[in-house]
Amino acid sequence: MDFQFGHLITSVLIVSGIATVLSILIVIADATIGNYGDKKITINNEKEIIVDGGQTLLSALKSEQIFIPSACGGRGSCGLCKLKIESGAGEVLPTELPFLEPSEITDNVRLCCQVKVKADLEVTVPEELFKIRQFEARCVSLVDLTADIKGLRLELSENDKIEFKAGQFIQLEVPVYDLTPEAVYRAYSIASKPDDDGFIDLEIKYVPGGICTTWVHKFLKVGDTVKFNGPYGDFYLRDTDAEMICMAVGSGMAPIKSILTHMAHRGINRKVKYFYGARKRDDLYNTELMEELEKLIPDFNFIPVLSRPEEEDNWSGKVGRLNNILPEYYETAQGMESYLCGNPDALNSYIAALKNLGLRDDEIFYDPFA
Amino acid sequence: MKNTPQMKMAYESMKPGIITLDGFLGSDSRSLMDIIVADEAEIARRGLTSAELAQNMRRIRDEGRKGEGLFEFVQPHFDVLVESVRGVLSCPFPGCGAIKKVNTTVVNKQTGKTISFSDLAIHLIEEHSFFQGRGSSFRLDPCELIEILEIKEDPH
Ligand SMILES: Cc1cc2nc3c(=O)[nH]c(=O)nc-3n(C[C@H](O)[C@H](O)[C@H](O)COP(=O)(O)OP(=O)(O)OC[C@H]3O[C@@H](n4cnc5c(N)ncnc54)[C@H](O)[C@@H]3O)c2cc1C
Ligand code: FES
Ligand SMILES: [Zn+2]
Repeated sequence: MDFQFGHLITSVLIVSGIATVLSILIVIADATIGNYGDKKITINNEKEIIVDGGQTLLSALKSEQIFIPSACGGRGSCGLCKLKIESGAGEVLPTELPFLEPSEITDNVRLCCQVKVKADLEVTVPEELFKIRQFEARCVSLVDLTADIKGLRLELSENDKIEFKAGQFIQLEVPVYDLTPEAVYRAYSIASKPDDDGFIDLEIKYVPGGICTTWVHKFLKVGDTVKFNGPYGDFYLRDTDAEMICMAVGSGMAPIKSILTHMAHRGINRKVKYFYGARKRDDLYNTELMEELEKLIPDFNFIPVLSRPEEEDNWSGKVGRLNNILPEYYETAQGMESYLCGNPDALNSYIAALKNLGLRDDEIFYDPFA
Repeated sequence: MKNTPQMKMAYESMKPGIITLDGFLGSDSRSLMDIIVADEAEIARRGLTSAELAQNMRRIRDEGRKGEGLFEFVQPHFDVLVESVRGVLSCPFPGCGAIKKVNTTVVNKQTGKTISFSDLAIHLIEEHSFFQGRGSSFRLDPCELIEILEIKEDPH
């Protein structure tokens, strides 16, 4: 996955020079041409919506409560907002080219943040995207889980409910606040279980100089209204009986916690070990919950691993990196499933270690953009 | 590089709170082009190019990655910490791609001096010769980079 990402970025950079010049010409042309009137978008040959012409397809669909995945807020730089547009979209734009495979171009796949609705369009929206909605919630609790991770509990508006699979994420809206002139969105894994009707929990680690985490850690207050959309992602608990190896570091705890609490609540008694990496004892959190889950899920072990315990930690548990610890527990992992969450560098080393133990690519689950 | 519409769009995206919290310009009142030209001139005086600086930053980051989130010793005498956060950031210049959120901190153990840079900063230097405006907390002064990372003119 990292290779693909590296390849993607390299191709992006190569084409970016030409793309930039052409995109500017397009921007100028658009600004001068102006109003397109009402346009019809036909979705999946079934539904028809009328939207204001001239806006991007991404915005037009959003205004109709159809949310297409995006990690860049429509800046044409994440490549996530791909949709098949059967007709009306015109030529592929230079800004889209770096993200589209030749086969996708042949298949009329486009970046919907780059395509403007200038004519009637026919688009194909995958069914699962219709489940994505905008939600309004109230922040009902905000606690320090560690020195730099805050736990948020969001209560949805009355009678509202989000349907998601344990492990999925939402896009949190950072509203216009003292430090941002426009709303921005950031992805956060849902830390609570799907059966917590009307609530979701998030666990957000402070990133110095970060837009969203500065807002959450320094500006957000209990009682504030918060907006988000979702759920997103292919990282969720698969419906099998396979033994599970879960691995996470830092705020990567969140989706694994969702998966484990879901298993406990639903009585899913699969054999599972959860290796959680932190630097020192103070960085560990949710340990009491994990002890509780060890009682509720018959064959579950939580294995916290510190990479650099301090003397005052008096740590008698495991020390090192998760990937190096694995062989102490498994001679082979063949036939098992693995659920991973953490920063990209950690993920790469976990994946390598799991493959060494015999796991196949399709048995290792993680969020590719994370 | 001309003061093109591309530069104007980039300038707008560089304001605080659009792509990053504090933006990329700091308190610098110069135009984007003036900032770039001044830094490029300084680097050229040292017999180097922005691309060479970026290559050195990338090499040290890649070596430091072996530490997997802990400080790693990198020859000749650097302690390097590479930390990554899930997610991507856009380059403010239109048409570029998404850059992973990775931060590298380099401590030159001989001089005791430290410098930090993100992957986005490496990209901005490599592709746009942009070291950011004065007063930006993420500005990388080219002379400081050359000094701390001990970047030497390529004899070839
Ligand atoms: C699927 C998914 C799930 C996620 N789940 C979680 C979760 O459960 N919990 C969690 O804590 N996080 C999670 N994340 C990460 C989250 O989305 C954000 O990326 C993270 O919180 C940082 O957001 P931010 O807005 O604070 O930082 P940003 O503002 O996006 O980025 C800050 C970084 O940008 C760089 N930067 C800032 N200014 C400059 C500049 N001028 N020049 C160069 N570089 C600069 C620096 O590297 C800085 O560290 C998830 C991400 C994904 C993709
Ligand atoms: S939303 Fe990121 S490329 Fe379209
Ligand atoms: Zn760029």
